[in-house]
Amino acid sequence: MAITILPPVVEDVRPYEADSDDSMSMDSEEDVEMAGISRPHKRPRLGNSNIGTGIVTPGEVVTDDPQWMRGHGTYMNPLSTSIIATVAGTVQKTNKLLSVHPLRARYTPEIGDLVVGRIVEVQSRRWKVDVAAPLLAQLPLSAINLPGGILRRRTSADELQIRTFFSEGDLVVAEVQSVHQDGSASLHTRSLKYGKLRNGVFLAVTGTGGSAASSSSVKGGVGAGNSASGSALAAPGGSGTGGVVRSRRQVWTVPTANGGGEVNIILGVNGYIFISKNPEGADAASSTTENVSITRMEEMVSSSIYSSQNDDIPAQTRREIARLTQCIRVLVQNGVRVDEETVMGAYNASLQVDLEIGDDEDEEDEWRQEGREYLEGAKAQDILELVKQQL
Amino acid sequence: MSSQRQASSASQVPHLSPAELSYLYTSLSLPKNPIRPDGRSPTQFRPLSAETTILPGTNGSARIGFADGTQAIVGVKAEVEKTVLAADTLDSRSLAQHGDALNREGEEGSAAVSGQGEWVQMSIEIPGFRDDDALPVFLSEMMRESLVGSVAGGDVDGAKEMAGGLKGRLVINKRWHWRLSCFSPNLSHTPSPLLSLTTHLALLSTKLPKLKSTGEEDPFFDDDWAAAEYLYPRSNTSKSSLSAAPSYPVRPPVTLLVIAVGENVIFDPNREEIAVADAVLAISPGIPNSENVNMLGATAGPGEESGGQEEVEGVWRPRRGGVKRSVIARMVKTVLGKGGVGEEVLEGLEGVEVQ
Repeated sequence: MAITILPPVVEDVRPYEADSDDSMSMDSEEDVEMAGISRPHKRPRLGNSNIGTGIVTPGEVVTDDPQWMRGHGTYMNPLSTSIIATVAGTVQKTNKLLSVHPLRARYTPEIGDLVVGRIVEVQSRRWKVDVAAPLLAQLPLSAINLPGGILRRRTSADELQIRTFFSEGDLVVAEVQSVHQDGSASLHTRSLKYGKLRNGVFLAVTGTGGSAASSSSVKGGVGAGNSASGSALAAPGGSGTGGVVRSRRQVWTVPTANGGGEVNIILGVNGYIFISKNPEGADAASSTTENVSITRMEEMVSSSIYSSQNDDIPAQTRREIARLTQCIRVLVQNGVRVDEETVMGAYNASLQVDLEIGDDEDEEDEWRQEGREYLEGAKAQDILELVKQQL
Repeated sequence: MSSQRQASSASQVPHLSPAELSYLYTSLSLPKNPIRPDGRSPTQFRPLSAETTILPGTNGSARIGFADGTQAIVGVKAEVEKTVLAADTLDSRSLAQHGDALNREGEEGSAAVSGQGEWVQMSIEIPGFRDDDALPVFLSEMMRESLVGSVAGGDVDGAKEMAGGLKGRLVINKRWHWRLSCFSPNLSHTPSPLLSLTTHLALLSTKLPKLKSTGEEDPFFDDDWAAAEYLYPRSNTSKSSLSAAPSYPVRPPVTLLVIAVGENVIFDPNREEIAVADAVLAISPGIPNSENVNMLGATAGPGEESGGQEEVEGVWRPRRGGVKRSVIARMVKTVLGKGGVGEEVLEGLEGVEVQ
């Protein structure tokens, strides 16, 4: 069957417990509109300590009780004591601090974050990079490794051939070097780990928005505006939003099954992900770099790091890369956080699910055979269950 | 700021790096067995979730969404409008009908009144565009044209009522007709096939109030909404149609996007896949009556296969040269052939429960 059309999934919205006798006196129109999620604006929300349930929308009065302090995602009119939500999300209170946790937010750069970005603009002496943050990040020409090694001054010749390093559309993995007053970031790629990306696929999911201190409650970030896969919604069932979280390892290599060879995964903290074939002679390269002293590391940089030419990638590797991509999509769409552990769990689960299906499928229908690699629907559920067991 | 807007909403093709494009192209053009970035088979569509009759105050509406949150909403509104004919046609026609009426008493002259294309309106809102910008106008006109153009295919049930296709259905009598307005609000990055599928569903769920008046009276309708009739008459043989050769009543057309990459024909491409396609075709299989096919091709450009540049493996170059005729023929055949993808899609849409 070429097309699957499913009935709509009813989002599991927790009904707001409103005492019925009170709401009778309220404006009935609003009650209908908000469908039980929220209550009319005028009412003090915190009087009866049922804060934390339900969702507030921007402009909605969260409380007008003066005992609360306003936190992130809220606004207070200087002339009144009422706290107004500025983002759509859930209300959170920490002691007397009241904040609204957004359902989706853009990535807020922090120093030291590993990010994947896309060059959107080339200016003189710097690039503008889309890192899913509210503002474009900048990558100065002075913050990249020039091919040929030795540390030297950036000359005007480099400025003229700035597009030979990165041009519009190129993907780059970089580190946040500094964050400016307005929240925009400066990046650098002065390490052999960073640089131009090739030999793989790009994927945009939600990243960390705001603080990533609590990895269990990841704030969703808006994915790439330019990718269809970027707009992940809050998971049905209200199990939180999935996305990339800050973790110990953002970059690792997967030895894939089915003869796929080794595949590198880069999880940008901003939610941009790059999955690529592990370059052939990587072992050789790393062994030589080990011999090179850390101060001379830059000399190893050859001009090939700015190449846009893909290596020869066998079909098996491409298949496994596609599988990994889907595993991450399944995780994100179901609100599971994305890190090394969950991705590997999902990958192994998908292999296992495929084995099981292969077993009970004796008469191989043609249409079941085709599209077998597509992981959605029932397969996604199986994978999720297996992943959740491991967590 | 302006460039950001362009990157986000105006450009249909996302900005991809040469390495990505090359990777995608090679994966998709692998002979026999293309590897799509999301693992689908070439003819597989992304799973959709669909519901109808979601907007109160419309005659019909539908919502279709992908799992990733992309969705389209279409509402259909029908209004009664007085038929205005151009002065000379009115004269000649009324004269002719007068003469007819003298000759053949009692026969309705309604056959003389045929519908007009302008009675169907389509408006699409795209954030960041004025409603008279080229893209929304082109999109809506493309959809409107295929809607108006679909005609009943031979003698199938409902063909009598739908003589003259949708246009004919909108005629109430000589002086009055229905005006259909389809609108799609807040279309953000919605691919046009999704919009087309949604319009199809919305029109399927559209109901018009039952006409009580007869003949040339001013129209007068039944108040009872439950008695309303579907704009597109239902086939009551939905069960048997599965087994027997499916008889297709008139259905609103759907537009499917098909791309060719190398020798492969791929359905329901996402934006990245469109970016590397050799050719993109929008095919509207209205009814399996191949006269109703609207096709819209965007090929990579004219010229001979393989121009002056030699291909370097692993490096992306924008494709030059057109597509082979055989590939185009195969694309059309996969959609329109017996048991082709077009039929499957229409069957799938038929299966959506219309409340």
